[in-house]
Amino acid sequence: MSRSRIKIFVASGILVSSLILLVFVGVKNTSLRHFRPEQLVAQAQEVHQKGVQIDGFIAEKSTSWDHGNFQLSFVVRDEADTARVNVVSVGKLKPDNFKDGGNVFVEGRYNADENLITASKIQTKCASKYQQAGSALATQEKYQIEAEVTQQN
Amino acid sequence: MASEIGQATIWLSAFSALWAIGMLAIGLRNRNNNAIISGRNGVVATFVLISIAVAGLIYGFLTDDFSMRYVAEGSSYYQPVLYKIAALWGKMSGSLLFWLWLIALFGTIFVWRNRHTKDSLADYALIPISVVMLFFTILVSGLIRGVYNPLSRFPNGGAMPDGAGMNPLLQTPSMAFHPPILYVGFVSLTIPFAFAVGALISGRINNDWIIRSRRWTLFSWLALTVGITLGGNWAYRELGWGGYWAWDPVENASLMPWLLCTAYLHSVMIQEKRNMLKVWNIILMVLAFEFTILGTFITRSGVITSVHAFAEGDIGVYFLSFILLSLFIIIGLIVSRWEKLKSLNWLESFLSKESVFVLNNWLLIALTLIVLWGTLWPIISEAVTGQKIAVPEEFFNKTVIIPGLMLLFLTGVGPIISWRKLTLSNLKRVFTKPIILALILLIPTISYLFLSGNIVVKVRSVYTVLCVFFSVFVLVAIADEFYRGGKLRSKRHEISLLGGFFRLIGRNKRRYGGYIVHVGIVIVYIGIMGSKGYFLLESKSVTNGQSIEIGKYQLTLKRGFEESHPNFELSGAEFDIKRNGKYIKTMQPARGFYFQAGQGEQDTIESAITHFGLNDLYIALGPLPQDASDYVSRGEPVSVQVYHNPLISLVWVGVAIMVVGGGVSMFEKNYKYNVKTDA
Repeated sequence: MSRSRIKIFVASGILVSSLILLVFVGVKNTSLRHFRPEQLVAQAQEVHQKGVQIDGFIAEKSTSWDHGNFQLSFVVRDEADTARVNVVSVGKLKPDNFKDGGNVFVEGRYNADENLITASKIQTKCASKYQQAGSALATQEKYQIEAEVTQQN
Repeated sequence: MASEIGQATIWLSAFSALWAIGMLAIGLRNRNNNAIISGRNGVVATFVLISIAVAGLIYGFLTDDFSMRYVAEGSSYYQPVLYKIAALWGKMSGSLLFWLWLIALFGTIFVWRNRHTKDSLADYALIPISVVMLFFTILVSGLIRGVYNPLSRFPNGGAMPDGAGMNPLLQTPSMAFHPPILYVGFVSLTIPFAFAVGALISGRINNDWIIRSRRWTLFSWLALTVGITLGGNWAYRELGWGGYWAWDPVENASLMPWLLCTAYLHSVMIQEKRNMLKVWNIILMVLAFEFTILGTFITRSGVITSVHAFAEGDIGVYFLSFILLSLFIIIGLIVSRWEKLKSLNWLESFLSKESVFVLNNWLLIALTLIVLWGTLWPIISEAVTGQKIAVPEEFFNKTVIIPGLMLLFLTGVGPIISWRKLTLSNLKRVFTKPIILALILLIPTISYLFLSGNIVVKVRSVYTVLCVFFSVFVLVAIADEFYRGGKLRSKRHEISLLGGFFRLIGRNKRRYGGYIVHVGIVIVYIGIMGSKGYFLLESKSVTNGQSIEIGKYQLTLKRGFEESHPNFELSGAEFDIKRNGKYIKTMQPARGFYFQAGQGEQDTIESAITHFGLNDLYIALGPLPQDASDYVSRGEPVSVQVYHNPLISLVWVGVAIMVVGGGVSMFEKNYKYNVKTDA
């Protein structure tokens, strides 16, 4: 094998190894454990004072905005509302699409003693839904569509 | 009637796509020209049939036919016409139908452009195009759980009194155009992919397939560039968080094909010049296409938990199966053609244009893999450990910096380094000036960027210094290329220097169009450095007459206001803006109140954004009642979030320059390839 080929292989090896190391260190230092609310509550002490991510639903009538402290507070529940987690966010506005019962993602530091996430990031579901929400019959029922109404019209 | 006809045409198009595949395969195997022509007609017939379906759906939107489920879920009476049409691609099955229509359109254009060619490569390429068409036809047929036929009506024959309407966040011009332009980018990659597969099937592994697919690839790249940028621009204008990129899985899904396409566009130059990297180029093009399908899988399957993912139905299984099956077949073809794919030359020197391009490929692929790893890590971690691990924005921001800066440096090195081996004379001739000038101009450039009202804090990272140094290096290197070439032509043809530049570009659009793209890339890098690395944020609640300060700006609340629009109301607050104590402008951020039948009341952030030179002042409001004028005049608090985004305009300007460069490059005509035609 020629010297230039050897150099190229060695350099490629160094580059690939460096990039793998970069990714490994990056994942190790930044990753967050992801939970649903019921999972977080069940494993609360394990993740006390650690970064977590949860996704759930905004509990009805739980949202409040404190103008003075620029603070948003709300509760995230699981789908069956068997578990709840408190969330507080300071210095950030409530995102669009944020409404009771809506999906929400929260990243932040978890305090197990208070069952509270101090959020660094809050996101709601994208406005563009690339999915069919249940059956056509469910859609009809949701929007109270009646065949008789159309026929009369 | 439109619904019924449309549904029927979707079913018929499955047969026409199947016919096309069958006839082309038979015709190519038996050298039967009539069968081949019939196969081509099958592609055109599919386009006609799907066009009827799309027209039927658009008709449903424009006539407010809320007996059609897709129309009812995505539109409403008062929705403006532009957004009624945009609703076509607003949800799952309509977006898949639009995707299918684009494939059929590009397939038909492909048939027309190759109608006089006597060689078979184009016909071989039509087979994978028809297979992709067939796949998407199955997806929208209504056979798959979770994806209904977009032309279908409600099962009980009823209709909604009014549609649910498109989400207010999507009712903006940039979001109306972002999806179709992005789809054009994704779907048009099918053509160069088909050429690659056609070359493998036919055994014609020379440069023909690359040359003939080049314009399609550039077109895809341009559409992806514009589509991705429009998405970022929409996020910036509409979402109220002052940013434009958050490394969400759906954003990553569009970036990865773009990175691979960029790698491919560079790599093919090596094959054309030195007959190297043939396998590399086939793999890059195949991966670019497969990543468009992967992106669709990520967006629609719900397999990755994200703000964009909604878990329902079996569609993910279909996408994954398509990816795996197609990769299996293509890998088999590559193995079977291995002897023909071997490079005729090898890298002669570590310091050469070829090596730089290979390194460029490695870095772009590395970036793709970093993004892919971060995107899929939640699934992988859950599968391996049982615990889903999320990878936040911080992972991507930290991990891409170093390969990104290396790429920036290569953006300047690649154009000026010599082929085969860097000689001392080449080193002196082309590298000395840019390096010395970059060192000299480093301090003044940093002073300009970090003073003069742009970035108002000190440099806090060595990456910033490297970014500026490399950027100046690249700009000087490319400017020198233009200057030397332009001067030569101006002397040779006895014309002005400007005339020399135009002649230079005109004679080699590909090369100099590419250099213009590189200039645009540099501008984008500087814009990202400023806006992502050095933005300022202030959050405060103020009452009437009170101020909030950010950088050199002072914002004073003057009054509240309301505005009425056909399908929404605005309630906002007016701020006087002063810079260094002097009044410059009034800004009016607001909250928008939309009322739509299926969605209830929604209030949205309607940010006010003003450009001051290269920088933006960005104001978003917290919760505000609909009677803002009374509310403010009573002295009630208004929550305000203000961003100072330095150099952000360079992001949009840089992309515009990239598009100009790509457009210039696309019109390179001086290609000669050995294709026999009737003409």
